[in-house]
Amino acid sequence: MAEEISESPNDPPPETPPSPPSEPEFDSKTMRKTKPGLKRLFLTFTVLVSFLLGFPFLFKSVEIYRSPLPFHDIDILSNDVVSNPFLFPCHFQAIFVPSDPKSSSIDVNLDELELSIRSKITKLASKGIGSQCGACTNNFTLSLTLDHGDCTQSLSKFYKCGSIRAVGLDFSDDESVDEALESAGLDFGGKVYSVVVVVNGKGVEGVKVVVGKYRHAWIVGREWEVEEVAERLAEIFVKVFVNGGREEGLIHGEFMPVGADGRIVLSFNLLNADPRDWIYDWDFQKIDETLLAPMIDALGPIANISVESQVLYYTPKFTFSSWDEKLGGYTLSTKDLPFFVNSNEWHLDTSIAAGGRSKILQFVVYVPSAKECPLLLQLPNGEISKTNAFISPMWGGVMVWNPQSCSRDSDSELLVRHIMSPRGSWQSGQHLSSKFLLDLQKVSEVFAGQFRQLFGLKSGSLHVGAVDTYSLLASEKGFTEWELDFLSRQHTCFNIHSSTTTLGSLSKLVQSLPRMIIMDEIGKQVKFSLEAANLARSNASLGFYGASAVSSRQARSLAEDAFFHPSIMSVSYYSFEHCFAVYSPFFLPVSMHVLLAALREWRRYKQEKAKYLLWKAKEKVAS
Amino acid sequence: MELPSRWVFLLFLFLSSTKAFGSEVDKEEFQEELLLKPLPDRKVLAHFHFETRAPPCNSNGRHHHHLFPKSISQMVEKFRVKEMELSFTQGRWNYERWGGFDTMSSNNAKPPGVELWAVFDVPKEQVDASWKNLTHTLSGIFCASINFLESSSMYSAPDWSFRQASGSLRYGMLPREAVCTENLTPWLKLLPCRDKAGISSLMDRPSIYTSLYYSQRLHLTSIASDLEGLNSGIALEQTLTVVLHPSSQRTGLTHFSQSYLQPSWSLSSIFGRKVNGRCVLAKSSKVYLQLERGLVSQLKKSENYGADYIASEGYDGEANFELSVNPDRVIKEENSRNGISSSLLYEFSVDKYSNSKPFDLGLTWKFPVIWSCQQAPLHASRFLMGSGNERGAIAILLKSTDLNDSSPVANSAMDGCELRVNIFQVVPWYIRVYYHSLQLFVDDQLKAVGAFVEKIHVMPSKDKISPGMMEMVLKLPCGVKSAALTLDFDKGFLHIDEYPPDANQGFDIPSAAIGFPDFHTSMLFPSNESERKSPMLSKFQESSPVLLYTEVLLVPLTTPDFSMPYNVITITCTVFALYFGSLLNVLRQRVGEKEKLKSKAAAKTGRLSDLLSRLSAKLRGRSQEPMQSPSESSPLINSKLALKVLLMAALAVAWQYYFG
Repeated sequence: MAEEISESPNDPPPETPPSPPSEPEFDSKTMRKTKPGLKRLFLTFTVLVSFLLGFPFLFKSVEIYRSPLPFHDIDILSNDVVSNPFLFPCHFQAIFVPSDPKSSSIDVNLDELELSIRSKITKLASKGIGSQCGACTNNFTLSLTLDHGDCTQSLSKFYKCGSIRAVGLDFSDDESVDEALESAGLDFGGKVYSVVVVVNGKGVEGVKVVVGKYRHAWIVGREWEVEEVAERLAEIFVKVFVNGGREEGLIHGEFMPVGADGRIVLSFNLLNADPRDWIYDWDFQKIDETLLAPMIDALGPIANISVESQVLYYTPKFTFSSWDEKLGGYTLSTKDLPFFVNSNEWHLDTSIAAGGRSKILQFVVYVPSAKECPLLLQLPNGEISKTNAFISPMWGGVMVWNPQSCSRDSDSELLVRHIMSPRGSWQSGQHLSSKFLLDLQKVSEVFAGQFRQLFGLKSGSLHVGAVDTYSLLASEKGFTEWELDFLSRQHTCFNIHSSTTTLGSLSKLVQSLPRMIIMDEIGKQVKFSLEAANLARSNASLGFYGASAVSSRQARSLAEDAFFHPSIMSVSYYSFEHCFAVYSPFFLPVSMHVLLAALREWRRYKQEKAKYLLWKAKEKVAS
Repeated sequence: MELPSRWVFLLFLFLSSTKAFGSEVDKEEFQEELLLKPLPDRKVLAHFHFETRAPPCNSNGRHHHHLFPKSISQMVEKFRVKEMELSFTQGRWNYERWGGFDTMSSNNAKPPGVELWAVFDVPKEQVDASWKNLTHTLSGIFCASINFLESSSMYSAPDWSFRQASGSLRYGMLPREAVCTENLTPWLKLLPCRDKAGISSLMDRPSIYTSLYYSQRLHLTSIASDLEGLNSGIALEQTLTVVLHPSSQRTGLTHFSQSYLQPSWSLSSIFGRKVNGRCVLAKSSKVYLQLERGLVSQLKKSENYGADYIASEGYDGEANFELSVNPDRVIKEENSRNGISSSLLYEFSVDKYSNSKPFDLGLTWKFPVIWSCQQAPLHASRFLMGSGNERGAIAILLKSTDLNDSSPVANSAMDGCELRVNIFQVVPWYIRVYYHSLQLFVDDQLKAVGAFVEKIHVMPSKDKISPGMMEMVLKLPCGVKSAALTLDFDKGFLHIDEYPPDANQGFDIPSAAIGFPDFHTSMLFPSNESERKSPMLSKFQESSPVLLYTEVLLVPLTTPDFSMPYNVITITCTVFALYFGSLLNVLRQRVGEKEKLKSKAAAKTGRLSDLLSRLSAKLRGRSQEPMQSPSESSPLINSKLALKVLLMAALAVAWQYYFG
């Protein structure tokens, strides 16, 4: 570069040696003869450039650790979940069996019937029944079989011809029919929902529709139209098997009473409003072991359930009840129910045994005090509630239990502690009243019903269809197989949705806070959650309801774990303001110097160059 | 709300299995008791004692409760707590006046603030984790900041001085924890009747929180029934000890002896409430009035109180005092020692009282009586020495109490016996104690430490990791008048974010515990009472070593100016920026131009105008040459500085305006 040789290029022009006389007049103010030097310009620009180059390093050095999150995968998953909803496969089959093998053959056109059923199913699905999350009406197979003895028209690949005919059916006893059909192996390893249509059934008036405890139902009737059969079959398939037989508008599917970590704690509380009047106690151990254990077992894939119980005393309710002469008791109308639970005095306590995000469902048996003794819950239509109980979605249920006689037995010196027991004996043991027999039985029935309702299922045993009423058989597990299937499907769907939204919010949050520390653990949890979600989806598409429910639960709990990780919750992010406050005292003044110096040098260089060029031009003109 | 008509099927299951549970359920039991005791300094001690027991259950895990609080049982089960004690205390127990040598003081006198110790039934390496979880759980249950005991610098693991528990004991104290109703309410929630009925209904918050001493304690023990310790029963003992100052009921009287007379009191005058019957869930519900040994012997001396009378009738309307309620029973302590008088307990059963007939025990003194209570062998106090913010010394002074001939110490002093004293002290890490500087003065003379120390265990503190702990057993001659221990320390520096919000108040050093392992307190009651024994009395019967706590020390530490880090950052950065800026300026200075400027210094104008022109010139980027420079480089620098200052000020103002 030229400026290297000029030792004093910036010397003002007057000091330049006098020009030869031949040259044009030289104005030292506007012209110069030497080239302007670049040394200082170079220096200042080097400093500036090195500063600019240094900034990335600075940023790198103050950068905080952020575990890389698979944002792309999360986006893919959430798009996927939105764009193509769950496709659970469902297999339906209908088997037509003549009740008497020797009787005349059934003349049914199976193809016609199948078309009719298909159209009806799609019609029901289009009405919104059975098309909510976790339904399988848009991905079903339907096969009809005519078990005619020679099995000529068997179309179903699931049904082994003649297996129903092998078992003797007595349609007056539903339970035995149910067991017999189960032993015939209709559900093909838990994947097929079947309806057995028995034509010309004996001992049946009209048409009888029963849904069993497993995955089958049967219709017994004497004579009917083909359309009617199709109607019934479609309804059983869609409303019962797919939709869990639930009533619309009871509890919305979003309200899943399952904690984010996939656990439920059932907390049973017996509240003695005023122990001075009477004290009731129960032996909950037995209820737990005999009634609840099978139910908890059955719900295993959906939630991990634990049970605890306590008895509390001096727990008055919050509202006042009014005496009703006609009903002979104190009544409480439905609009008072929101104020029934007295959170000041009912210390139902969250459980220490439960983890942080478990769902606790409180079940409360309220024993009123003597001065409000027969306490009755009044329905809006003026009737008295049969169960004397109510539920509160996502919280639990309350049941009012009135003692047999409302007169206080404080005449005796010491108060007897009554034990509510399944056998129904008082602790004193003298009077074994048969009325008291069903005491705890009734309580646990109500609990079971409330628990089913909290899950959005029906608590009754009848389902009112369009054509007629179906009776639903109850299972000793509290939930029938097809209900469990329905719950598994619904929960899988809900869990996957929930985990995708959680992961989506997490990725949004992480992207919006660029200075937040993200631990490796969170990255791992997100990764595993995604894996579990994908596994659940693939299991679901194969029809493994239980397995998909389990892995979807895992996906949800991992996603929640990641989102609520303590390191995110704490004030762990190092704000930009803080960074600015620490670095600005140095960088603000220094950058001022550097920028100003560079600017000045640049200006000066331009000026001097202009002078030089002017001189050059003059010289050229002169020469 | 339809009743499901299912679930009838399981009936048969019950019919076969209903033999045992009727009795099983009943085993959870609850008892409530209250002890009242007049104190020599015209105060009244009220000691509430509630005990809930859960039997060992045979199923795996305990999930069903009838009386026993669910939260405690779940906690014990989850963290495998073998034994635990938590106390919330306000005020200091006055050992001289309220007694230092009885079961009440050695069990229920607690250091101020929160004290927690727990013994775990887990492998040694898991003890710390269990402790941490336990502190968090307890702080949730009791609405207190017990979770601060989580950090390893806050708790210690005493080996033998506090109590024998091979390695699984953890001990922590929070001397500054404020105790109030928010801690009492959850404590009451553990009782089946809470404060709705029974003796606990006496707990009127204003009266118990204006007391001179308030200590709320929770002690739980799991009683293992088998070898694995899986099926264990739990005994939960909750006590509340308050020392109240009864306002004299008869202030109007001007009798001379009135001023010497002990104040008369009743339950309604000291608590403002009466007992409206028992808690119906309690197995027994009793109130005791205790007259301690000193008082009884004083009463005996006065002629209108016969010694036989106490034993036989116990209660006498003609005596020195009058009770408003006749006691159901009088229990005389069986005192085998020296034949000195033994204490008396009047028992009142609350069972027969009800809403219409509340129980209101009153005590009216008729004649003045002065007595003193039994003292611990040595009186302990602890104080700080030295001044300044750099170093100091802790001194523990043990002084023999004023001995009368009834004291066991004086009795055995003749035969050259030795008095053993346990000292257990935990010091936070920022008080760096030099244990080598331990000095022992016996009877004001410096003695070699080794001659008196029987056993010593010192765990020096590690900065920010663990506190310093000292356990020692001193062997002092029985006739010792005083003994003093001193330890020098340096005050450490804390990191800026380790200071509490009120750092200028100083830092508390938790109380030291002084124990006398040779002296045990216990009260013996006639053995035929065993079947009717109350949990409180059986607690009194247990022999427990005499234990006392010293004062909490307040150490002022140097507190920094908390804005200092930012100031340091700012000034350092400014210096750097100035240096850098001037360096850059020097680098691009042109010597020739400067000289020219010097030569041109002819026409002198005012400094200000010069400055202004320079400024304008600068702003225009030196498009025109500066007019003059009257002086040398100093005004140049001045102008630059001024410019910088102005710029910075403008920036600061802008920043303040837009972001401040």
